[in-house]
Amino acid sequence: MTVTGTVEKKGFGFGTWALVSEDGTTYELKDPAAELKQEGIKVEVKGKIRKDVMTMAMIGAVLEVESYKLL
Amino acid sequence: MKKLALLCLFVLGIGFSLFSFKGLAQRGEFDSIILDFREDVSLADISEEIQGLSAKYGRDVNLNSVFSVEDNVYIIEGDKKVLKELRKSPLSKDTEYIEPNYLYKINAVPNDPQYGKQWNFRDINVEQAWDETKGAGVTVAVIDTGIGKVPDLKSTKFAKGYDFVNDKEDAGDDHGHGTHVAGTIAQSTNNGYGVAGIAYEASVMPLKVLSASGGGTVADIAEAIKFAADNDADVINMSLGGGGASSMMEEAIKYAHDKGVVIIAAAGNEGSNSSSYPARYPNVISVSATDPAGDKTSYSNFGAGVDIAAPGGVGMNESGSIWQNTINPDPDDPEESVFAGFQGTSMAAPHVAGVAALVRSTGVDSADEIRDILKQSSRKVEEDHLNHFGSGHLDANAAVQLALKGKISFNDFFRWLRKSGYLNLGFWIDGGAVALLPKLAMVVGSYLLAWLIRTYIPMTLGLNTGLIFGSSGLFFLQGLYWFDLPQWPMRLFGSSIPELGNVVLGNSNFNPLFASALIPFALTALLLNSSLKWFAIGSSIGVAACLGVSAFTDPGIWLLGSGAIARTYLIVNAALCIGLAYLASQKDTPRA
Repeated sequence: MTVTGTVEKKGFGFGTWALVSEDGTTYELKDPAAELKQEGIKVEVKGKIRKDVMTMAMIGAVLEVESYKLL
Repeated sequence: MKKLALLCLFVLGIGFSLFSFKGLAQRGEFDSIILDFREDVSLADISEEIQGLSAKYGRDVNLNSVFSVEDNVYIIEGDKKVLKELRKSPLSKDTEYIEPNYLYKINAVPNDPQYGKQWNFRDINVEQAWDETKGAGVTVAVIDTGIGKVPDLKSTKFAKGYDFVNDKEDAGDDHGHGTHVAGTIAQSTNNGYGVAGIAYEASVMPLKVLSASGGGTVADIAEAIKFAADNDADVINMSLGGGGASSMMEEAIKYAHDKGVVIIAAAGNEGSNSSSYPARYPNVISVSATDPAGDKTSYSNFGAGVDIAAPGGVGMNESGSIWQNTINPDPDDPEESVFAGFQGTSMAAPHVAGVAALVRSTGVDSADEIRDILKQSSRKVEEDHLNHFGSGHLDANAAVQLALKGKISFNDFFRWLRKSGYLNLGFWIDGGAVALLPKLAMVVGSYLLAWLIRTYIPMTLGLNTGLIFGSSGLFFLQGLYWFDLPQWPMRLFGSSIPELGNVVLGNSNFNPLFASALIPFALTALLLNSSLKWFAIGSSIGVAACLGVSAFTDPGIWLLGSGAIARTYLIVNAALCIGLAYLASQKDTPRA
């Protein structure tokens, strides 16, 4: 799937990177690349939802990034 | 004889342990001593004595306060040793009393310096719960990012865990989340360092299923749940979630639940009206998060599947967040650990796990019962249409009290003992009720008689039992009062054969039928040809001794008065008993 949205750092644990889509859905980024770990950048991410993964942040569906484009 | 000796030792042992029990009155802490000088001692004398003390101990002796002048109350720094010396010194004749200046504290507040930041512990009333239990003997499995051995976990007990992410036994933390969660459950408390934990005498079992980036697979989590159940964990805490339903995890949860493990999980931080998995599963207690005001936090899930609410914190500042010791996330910083404020349903769940451990340690074994206790004791929130709070706000003290209700805990029992005076040995043995000397005379007398008849005295149960029961019975039982139970059984077993006729009814005069050779005669006739023959012989001798001594000390017989007639009656019967015993014993001459 493809998600377009803004990267945000959420305050769970020492910090968790999330992608908040245009429609307001929050996804947790699974092991994001360093380039993605920037507060406020707009990106388009292609990836898949990992239903077999659970996290300590529990902020939303876990999105494993396959490729991305900075906007 | 041997049995009597053993019995005496037993009584002495019990007596010793009861006497050396230090009641609450002598257990206070103190580091100074009160000297209350008598009003009739002149100020000059007091001044002189105080200066002497000051010189001797090298410390100041001061009036306690401006209000102490009238009563001459002075305080000197000192310990038990100083107290003893002062009491023995000539000073004591000038004082009304010299006593420890006990330090009083409010409820069990731990000495951890940053305890003030833990609003969440006051919120759940943990201090009162600590009066009853601190979770000793319970193991809590923390299924998370691992647990780092940070300084404020130094006194905390660790059970053997496992790292499922890297497949090794050492389940250390490389993220920070798991250590923080473990801190809420069992941070080393009262160690004069850092902060406190809820069930600080419990053991934590580190099970690492989440990686350094905070995520983990359902397979690892399910296996960790099984590991915990197989390795005697009593409580499982899962501050993790997401994904969907999984059969493998469902199976593992059922397995653990069937083994009696209480399973607790965080409801999730999506702010949506349903709990995440695994909290959502029926056998798992789902916990939503509250803020210092007791409201649901904005991030916390609510609604479907939420069972109970506990402090989850807001933000990452000292005030409002959940403050614990965890590993330092900065690899370049030489400091190995930090105190960090976290927020989340991840922080709320371990509060429930900690309290579940407290409840478990009071003796409640069943997982379902513990869950029911946690829910029933929680502070219900009126008007909770959207189910923000489940059954209500977690309350540690109410939970522990509910768990103990109907159970006589050791603490309750000891408190009751102290208050009721039962620990006072004098309460138990009413020495005045039993005339000790005559009784001893009867026992000794019966043995003497046996020897005089030149009967061989083997250590046979029969003969010795007969002697005791015939002469005095277990007479010390007569003065024994067992709580408020009827006392007649004590009198019955504490009676000699002659006394049986009167003691149960509580009369002090002998019954003439019992205080005679009649029963020994009957016993001898019945048992002469059986293995209990020596019991009959012993009884006869015993009765003879009893009647003989009673003839001189207390000859009261019902219907016969207590004068010469009664005495004669007793002496004649005693002689008859001796004769009977002699004849019966002679019958047993060994044949070739």
